[in-house]
Amino acid sequence: MIERLSQGPVSVRGLTEPFAVSQQMISKHIACLVRARIVIKTKRGRESICRLRPEAIKTVSDWAISYRQFWEESFDKLDVVVKQMKKEESRDGRKHGE
Amino acid sequence: MAENTANETERMVVTRVFDAPRELVWKAWTDPKYVMQWWGPKGFTAPYCEMDFRVGGKLLCCMKAPDGQEFWNAVEYHEIVPYEKIVSLMYFSDSKGNKIDPAQLGIEHESVDGAYDVTLFEDLGNGQTKLTFIGNEPMESAKNSGQLEGWNQILDKIAAVVEALAK
Repeated sequence: MIERLSQGPVSVRGLTEPFAVSQQMISKHIACLVRARIVIKTKRGRESICRLRPEAIKTVSDWAISYRQFWEESFDKLDVVVKQMKKEESRDGRKHGE
Repeated sequence: MAENTANETERMVVTRVFDAPRELVWKAWTDPKYVMQWWGPKGFTAPYCEMDFRVGGKLLCCMKAPDGQEFWNAVEYHEIVPYEKIVSLMYFSDSKGNKIDPAQLGIEHESVDGAYDVTLFEDLGNGQTKLTFIGNEPMESAKNSGQLEGWNQILDKIAAVVEALAK
């Protein structure tokens, strides 16, 4: 759905068509995206038009490589923490075990 | 929908060698006091971390993006072999630890449903520890993935014995 929206504004009907689910389900999903401030919904006549919030697009692309990036960068930080712990431990005189 | 297109299990492996003994790396990984200091990507902070580190227990961690947006992560522990291996399941959650759809947060999560994460702690024997994080493992291979480490250690020991003999 996000993929579809990333190409430009789409009506709720237009968003429902590619998926084999009811418009009610899609509306529910859209409501979530609106609540999460990812999608903006506006009325145009009898139709509701959805489009992505530009800030949300950035968030999505920022997270596109999220899982690996999450761990790679967490490991970077872990390295700093471990180094600090090692320093503290040697300062306190090598104590092992808990 | 986009988040459901990843139906094929793609493993993700991240390894790192730390210049510290295995006990220390384990401690940094399993004590919330330290987890708060490293959890999350660059620029993120972890203002809250609650950890019930036992099989069946859970980690609940809040991470804050540079723009102030907060994300909650939960990790369920499925297998713990002290100082060696952790099999866990991570997902985006609300502040109570209830699972939520990452798409709701605008996140395209690569993780696959029912796939586990395996963390391996390997003592390199020279005061260094190799940490291996394998993401998106089906449970069956998650159970077995510690074996490689065991073999490596055995091979290392054999190598040491052989070296001593050679002298």
